[in-house]
Amino acid sequence: MKQITLLVILAISLLAGKSQSINLPPVDKSPMDMCYYPTNYPVLKIQDKVTEPAVARVIYSRPQKNGRLIFGDLVEYGKVWRLGANEATEIELFKTVKIGDKKVEKGRYTLYAIPMEDSWTIILNRDNDTWGAFKYDEQKDVLRTTVPVQKLNEAVEAMAMTFEKSDSGCNLIIAWDNIKASLPISLK
Amino acid sequence: MTKLACTFFLCCFLFIACTGVNERNSDQTEKKPDTAIVHTPVANPYATIDISPMDMSYFPVNYSQLKMTHDLKTPPIMRVIYSRPHRQGRTIFGNLLKYGERWRLGANEASEIEFFQNVTIQDKKVNAGRYVIYCIPYQDKWTIILNNDLYTWGLKIDSTKDVMQFDIPIKKTSIDFEYFTMVFQPLTNGAELVMAWDDTEGRLPINF
Repeated sequence: MKQITLLVILAISLLAGKSQSINLPPVDKSPMDMCYYPTNYPVLKIQDKVTEPAVARVIYSRPQKNGRLIFGDLVEYGKVWRLGANEATEIELFKTVKIGDKKVEKGRYTLYAIPMEDSWTIILNRDNDTWGAFKYDEQKDVLRTTVPVQKLNEAVEAMAMTFEKSDSGCNLIIAWDNIKASLPISLK
Repeated sequence: MTKLACTFFLCCFLFIACTGVNERNSDQTEKKPDTAIVHTPVANPYATIDISPMDMSYFPVNYSQLKMTHDLKTPPIMRVIYSRPHRQGRTIFGNLLKYGERWRLGANEASEIEFFQNVTIQDKKVNAGRYVIYCIPYQDKWTIILNNDLYTWGLKIDSTKDVMQFDIPIKKTSIDFEYFTMVFQPLTNGAELVMAWDDTEGRLPINF
């Protein structure tokens, strides 16, 4: 009887795990994640549905919440956070854009954040190909901008990043646990 | 006794049902990402599976980690970014991947290799830059192709944008690779890109 119960639980758990209410990218079964703006650019490309050239892409690793309290606990307020896991999170701009009213040249940058309770400071830094924020060097910052955060009703298990269209360009959405931040990127 | 038999058949049924579900999901992952999360690292001599889903390999090996402990003066030489499909009990070569047909060397987004400096492969100069990398597997060799059609999805590769191609020998591995693996290993005059899955591996020597 115990075995049957176990098997039933196993069967259910295999069938479950498909719901996530806000519109964030699912975790790949094959471990890797990147996101583009325009959203799903590579898929649009093979479907011949591309209407504008690629603007940006983010490559990042997705830590799991695993029952932990994230912000203010695992990720401390006021400290530089690597905005991901493992290799440093990177953003590549395929064209020159404006972030927080500052011009950012096209190129590859490492992304960090300093989370506070009500806002995050997002950092673009030119020291690429690095690991986490262990050797973060403020001297190499290209830009710092502060964005408000929003509380989510439902916790996001795997940290997620995606782009959404905005009036002036796009926003990079970053969500984990019950927090969502949005970095406006202007193409104008 | 009947009770035992019943239990046995029910177990069998559930087991088949479960694996059936698994297989269907895995077929879907060939086309689009799904929500399953890899929780447990799987033993692999080249690179263990990250618990947080992403994979890239640098040369020098673990460049970004070395940077934490060493004062590196030079940028990395190359890196590959790819997704790692699972074998999941399937026969890969000659079955899931047909001989003579294009294989995207990964999953999801097209696999990408970037050379941060000019390199030489099979006596041909390869300019610094970013390329899509894919493969045509045969029974006794692989053809590795560098392509210029960047930022695309692996299922549809525009071969009119092929830049260079290289035939490499393959060999059977001593262990089965559950996850497709790409990693660099040093050579005396460069490094080789090791590509391994199931019971087969190919190595592309890169000189610099």
